[in-house]
Amino acid sequence: MYILAIESSCDETSVSIIKNGCEEISTVVLSQIDTHTNYGGVVPEIASRMHVENITIVIDEALKKANMRLDDIDAFAVTYGPGLIGSLLVGLMAAKTLAFIYNKPLIPVHHIAGHIYANNLVKRLEFPLIALVVSGGHTELIYMKEDYSFEKLGGTLDDAVGEAYDKVARVIGVPYPGGPKVDKLAFEGDDTYNLPLPLDDDSYNFSFSGLKSAVINLAHNEEQRGNKINSANMACSFQNRVVKILVKKTMRALKDYKVNNLIVAGGVAANKGLRKTLTKACADAGINLIIPEMKYCTDNAAMIGAAAYYAYKRGDVAGLDLNAKAVVPLN
Amino acid sequence: MRYLLIDTATTNLVVAIIINGEIVYIYNNNDGHDTSSKMMPILAEAFSNAKLKPQDIDKIFVVNGPGSFTGIRVGLTVAKTMAYALNIPIIPLSSLEVMASGNGGTALINARRGYVFAGSYDNDLGAVYKDSYVLMSDKLPRPYISYDKFDCETILPKIDVLKVIKKHEHDDSVNPHLLKPNYLKLTEAEEKLHSHD
Repeated sequence: MYILAIESSCDETSVSIIKNGCEEISTVVLSQIDTHTNYGGVVPEIASRMHVENITIVIDEALKKANMRLDDIDAFAVTYGPGLIGSLLVGLMAAKTLAFIYNKPLIPVHHIAGHIYANNLVKRLEFPLIALVVSGGHTELIYMKEDYSFEKLGGTLDDAVGEAYDKVARVIGVPYPGGPKVDKLAFEGDDTYNLPLPLDDDSYNFSFSGLKSAVINLAHNEEQRGNKINSANMACSFQNRVVKILVKKTMRALKDYKVNNLIVAGGVAANKGLRKTLTKACADAGINLIIPEMKYCTDNAAMIGAAAYYAYKRGDVAGLDLNAKAVVPLN
Repeated sequence: MRYLLIDTATTNLVVAIIINGEIVYIYNNNDGHDTSSKMMPILAEAFSNAKLKPQDIDKIFVVNGPGSFTGIRVGLTVAKTMAYALNIPIIPLSSLEVMASGNGGTALINARRGYVFAGSYDNDLGAVYKDSYVLMSDKLPRPYISYDKFDCETILPKIDVLKVIKKHEHDDSVNPHLLKPNYLKLTEAEEKLHSHD
């Protein structure tokens, strides 16, 4: 079964053709990052404008790369949420139009399900598993008993982890997008700043706003005293706290649910500090850890096409009235 | 010739199928928002009522602005995707011209903060005052035609789809990959960035 998938939930216009949920035939990702960098972050209206200008071009490129025609496609899949509503709508309308023209199933895919199933393109998922989803918009622990069954164990109560990284980056003078640069800086510094550990309770929830505020206040106070903060040391101190709590709660979820498989998904899965600490913790505990390649960590349509196959097998087919949703739970 | 016309730029959604100069289906209702949900079911109904398949259409006319940014993108994405997939010509239209097609006068769309999208057309759809993003003014040709409420007197548009098609039937078509919305307005973020230049 060949699925053509479209992802446009934020600032990447992406189209992919995936065979049977695991084989990537072709993927095209058009990133708008260079444009949004001028504004210090993603501007939703600009993102929507760029999606509508590029959508058919990206569809065409993905087909050409696969040496396929639209008639060869068995179903059309699309990210319907969560994400920026104006951005989502462009991919959604294009997918609905194609499903209508070719009279093929329209498969709605949750963006987070996509991130999780990015791992299926690397290696067939083994169940049960725990998924740690970490990105600019999400920080969630999800338990999966079987394919396309999602039980959210916990999530962030305020900032997503990637969002906290971007804000801290701004405070310590690292330009947008700051997350990867803070990660790199952290390895050049030492853990010298006395920052609080984020929410460390019995739940699987996360909270990063306190830690973020502590960094902002500390930088502000130092500035008032005429001192400059050491960016590398601050990056290291911040990253250590974040990674520590992410790993701690993830390992506890694996233990509590007696699960041996952990997958990591989302843009922050590219974080070297997190990868390093998780790899060691999983090796020590005998956990089978899967972290996708970098290209599958950021937003892409390949992951949507992979998830769509299992969504379809479960019976998820949408009507032509399918709407985009900025916020929608995964279930 | 079999034509499809789509206009999603205002609260008034228009989907029409025209065969050899006759309207065989038209949805023309000022029923508010949620165009993204309604658009495709209406399109499906249009084809089923006209007993046509999407593959039977020879040319698409689509309004690419000005108006609601999101609304424009909904209709334009559908039209571009169809024109690309079916490899048929696509011709952009002005929302204001469509609004003024029945009467002649100045079509207005509220663009907030005292601004409007305005365009004045005569009875033959000649543009008397080019589509613009301007401060609301009482100096443009009457009547004022709008779906929106203003302090001054306005009349509701009575659109004449055949008149619009007749005028633009032989316009040069646009490559669907290159067809862009005509917002007539930068985003606020772009305006701010440019004001620092």
